[in-house]
Amino acid sequence: MTPTADLDEFRATVRAWCDEHVPSDWRRAQTDVDDEQFVDFQKWWFQELRAAGFAVPHWPREWGGGMSVAEQIILYRELAAHDAPRLVLAFVGIHHAASTLLAAGTQEQLQRHLPAILGGEIWVQGFSEPEAGSDLASLRTSARRDGDSYVINGQKLWASGGMHADWCLLLARTDPDAAKRKGISYFLLDMSTAGVDVRPIRNAIGESHFCEIFLNDVKIPAANLVGAENAGWQVAQATLGAERGLTMLELAERLGHAGFRWLVEACRRGRLIEDAVVQDKLAQFDIEITGLRGLCRDLVERSEAGTAGAADASVVKLFYSELLQRLTDFGAEIGGLAAHTQLTKPISSGWESGSWVLDFIGSWEWTIPGGSSEIQRTIIGERGLGLPREPSAVG
Amino acid sequence: MSGKFKEFHDELRSVASDLLAKDAAVDWPLLAEAGWTGLEAPENLGGAGAGFGEVAVVLQEMGRAATRSAYIGGTVLSVGTLIALQPSATRDALLSDVATGAVRTAVALSRDGQDVDPSAPFRIESSSAGLRITGRSEFVPDADGADRLLLLANAADVPVVVVATAQASGLSVTPQPVVDETRRLSVVVADGVMVDESVWRFDGDPGTRVRRLLDRAAVAVACDSVGLAEAMLSATVSYAAVRHQFGRPIGSFQAVKHACADMLVRISVARQLVSAAVEAIADDRTDAATAASMAKSYATAAAVDVVGKAMQLHGGIGYTWESGIHVYLKRAALNRSLFGSPAAHRKQLAQRYSQGT
Repeated sequence: MTPTADLDEFRATVRAWCDEHVPSDWRRAQTDVDDEQFVDFQKWWFQELRAAGFAVPHWPREWGGGMSVAEQIILYRELAAHDAPRLVLAFVGIHHAASTLLAAGTQEQLQRHLPAILGGEIWVQGFSEPEAGSDLASLRTSARRDGDSYVINGQKLWASGGMHADWCLLLARTDPDAAKRKGISYFLLDMSTAGVDVRPIRNAIGESHFCEIFLNDVKIPAANLVGAENAGWQVAQATLGAERGLTMLELAERLGHAGFRWLVEACRRGRLIEDAVVQDKLAQFDIEITGLRGLCRDLVERSEAGTAGAADASVVKLFYSELLQRLTDFGAEIGGLAAHTQLTKPISSGWESGSWVLDFIGSWEWTIPGGSSEIQRTIIGERGLGLPREPSAVG
Repeated sequence: MSGKFKEFHDELRSVASDLLAKDAAVDWPLLAEAGWTGLEAPENLGGAGAGFGEVAVVLQEMGRAATRSAYIGGTVLSVGTLIALQPSATRDALLSDVATGAVRTAVALSRDGQDVDPSAPFRIESSSAGLRITGRSEFVPDADGADRLLLLANAADVPVVVVATAQASGLSVTPQPVVDETRRLSVVVADGVMVDESVWRFDGDPGTRVRRLLDRAAVAVACDSVGLAEAMLSATVSYAAVRHQFGRPIGSFQAVKHACADMLVRISVARQLVSAAVEAIADDRTDAATAASMAKSYATAAAVDVVGKAMQLHGGIGYTWESGIHVYLKRAALNRSLFGSPAAHRKQLAQRYSQGT
């Protein structure tokens, strides 16, 4: 454990760095920008963080990370307190791709990709399909062995950031005859390979960061298989919950800083703050955010100690998603008609940007993807509480 | 929490859970024998020299078992009050007696048992015969049967504590029966009771000390609520696994499973808020009032929802007297009101927003 005095010093270092490096006007500057400006800004901010040693604090020391959990908590807290931009584009690379490779990748795969991710390589997750959403294990995209390669055919959906991605974490079926979770393999796909076609899908708030990925006779070298053939489901499961603690902690800290502050400010405008009902709602959100921050910290610490329960990450995801939805709903309500005139929000911001109507509608991007709230409740009931499974559930 | 503390807490929890499972009521001598009356008192006065963190463990287990005992009034509030007072030979002697269980006391802290603003329920006035104390305090936990009463009083606008023997002339303790049969609450009325002993003063700023006592009372109840909510979730999960309808355990239906998941989420959040508040009280931190209001507001409201859902998911059997779920629902509802409603605590918290954070 890092001594308290060292943590205080670390906090002071992060604060001083944030004061100097977090651009003060990025929200205004990143509103109404085009794709290229967004990507440039994200890549620039990632390199700023990297230069300070703050980009991948959770990675092992030999790959450029090595921060203690206590230090990471301080880092995310300070970044939130200084309203730093979020790492939207690098997210899948530094979290999902890295944790998958660290858990199941070969030395060659690690050497090839971790330094590249630090250099700005962008990743996308190719898991969901049109017929495999909540029931992910029923995915149909096929991978057929052909000499030293696999040939992939199928369609992926909801691949966030797909049009900017250099690489894709791909789940595909290698054994169509096996039980549905036993015939899936995990691949690393170079997005520039022939036969890969990416088409953005416009979401409910008009943004197009989700993509469909069409895969037509796409060749993946066998060396890009992660883990054993047909063990892809286990590889994916092993890393799904592991990284959730820290990513949720960051979001909880943001909700606790900028998010709640804007809500209070919105209530102060128009003197709503003097209304007893409004005060009561604010206090309730304040309490729930405080509880969420505690939950996230606890999850991070117990993940590190290896004592996290099987459904702990689901508890956090479910609570955060629904709290975000209720909070942005309230923001939209107290924001009144003026909130409806905010037609854009800065990309690179958190899920609460202060453009409350868009934030509210955008909150379904939390309650639906990544295992919908209904799926999370089932996971909590079955894995967390040990309740009996659905009789019809297979696999 | 460091490993050593965790180990001690786990052991205390397991001992408490075993002992409390035996009987719905735990008498005062048994509380003393278990060492729970002296947990927080210093070792040189016959206590264990532990802290509020350990008391919180016992409180949570008592909630889990819906135990009928005088622990909140006789120990949690009494010891909390006595250690907040200026040390003296008489203070030390009483603290020692309370810690060992030789004497049972209760504390009359507020006018109505639910006011979150500190305002002393009694006042001290001088008369030709000497100092007299007058006032009324309702819903005082465990006052009935106490040997002595600690009365929070204003002496020239400064809060102090007056210790009165239960038999003092002009002092009355009248039980106030409530729907929840596991708690004993009383009205304490002092009508010109002679203050025969010296008035006991708080150690440090009296306003802050009184605030902390109310925070402690609120958090104590919140701990109880977490325990009883956990007990009801556990009972519901067990029941849902064995009760069959339509040829399947009812817990396999999403309507039941998802309701249980929601119970767990609420309890998980409540636990975080309560453990943060327990720590703040134990360390006497300046943010203790905020942490206490958050914990009291969330945990006691959550417990009512969780126990209510437990009754619902148990179906017809859950509504029977015999199932005992009503005991938990009544206690959860009382906890919600005692020492400040969730809304009253949120109102306290909201003062920060209009003043600018």
